Amino acid sequence: MEMKKLAQISTKKTILIVLTLAMIFVLVGVFVLSFSFETLDKQAGKLGSEEKPVYKAPFADYNVPGLDNTWGALIVGVGGTLLLLIMGLIVAKIVRRKKS
Amino acid sequence: MHIPDGYLTPYVFIPAFIITIIFWAIYLKKVKLTEKQVPIMGLLTALFFAAMMMNWPVVGGTTAHLLGGASMGLILGPFAGGISVTIILVLQAFLFGDGGLTTLGANVLNMGIIGVLVPCAIFLVLNKLVGAKGNKLYAVIFVSAFAGDLLAAVAAGTELGLSQPVFQYGLNVAIPAMALNHSIIGVGEGIITMILVGTLLKLRPDVLQQSPILKRLSFFQNKEDAKDGDEKVGPNIY
Repeated sequence: MEMKKLAQISTKKTILIVLTLAMIFVLVGVFVLSFSFETLDKQAGKLGSEEKPVYKAPFADYNVPGLDNTWGALIVGVGGTLLLLIMGLIVAKIVRRKKS
Repeated sequence: MHIPDGYLTPYVFIPAFIITIIFWAIYLKKVKLTEKQVPIMGLLTALFFAAMMMNWPVVGGTTAHLLGGASMGLILGPFAGGISVTIILVLQAFLFGDGGLTTLGANVLNMGIIGVLVPCAIFLVLNKLVGAKGNKLYAVIFVSAFAGDLLAAVAAGTELGLSQPVFQYGLNVAIPAMALNHSIIGVGEGIITMILVGTLLKLRPDVLQQSPILKRLSFFQNKEDAKDGDEKVGPNIY
């Protein structure tokens, strides 16, 4: 089998492209596909079943207390994406270091 | 698909937690990452958190979101992929109240274990059977991702159906309802996974070459001298 080209883009470019895509997902999630009515919520709603949270999340329902829902979701979306990037990197580095 | 607190009985969420803890231990013991996979794990974790913010309309006025388990499992490997999904679910539960704390084990079981391991297993079996290459490769990726979403939904439906009287519909309603709606998002998951893997095959084959799953593809197998950190090879998938 013919092996041809090497990596077409650098790691820096990969990071830039994927983060841009993630931000587009956040924008679409906040401004276009923000309506959430999951199947199990609907089934539970029919029976009058309710969530019984055992813990109050600081940014419940992807909102920032005191902020408009859209702006709150946008801040949470962008902040959450960056936080997950950092968390993913930290865990990956720990795994890499322990196993190498 | 995030099950909130109050929907599952302890008879369901406690065993789910136990199974999940066993798998976490296996993930942590077995996981291996190369230097090149480190940034990719961070990026995919962030990307699929963002992707989960998009609620796609499915049927009956309900919505569903992508899981990302198939993409992360295939690109990073089942163990690193499972860890990535777990990181997302833990942060979603603790920071955003998306999914409960008592049901965290069940949510990880559905999305971080079934949603990751099933696509990886199906991919490996189909790759062995049909020799995934060219268009066949994309078909195999699609089927693997679709099946992962579907079985994760069936698992969630089973947990809900077994949680009577809290969730009074029972298995005969909960499983079909979850499976039908999530089979639609499963199509989206299949398409996104095909696009993502296809794009990486073209732009970063060096990363996919280090995936414990995708490195078994015939065009990677033929380049046995490719080692960790080697950027100078890439596949001709046709």
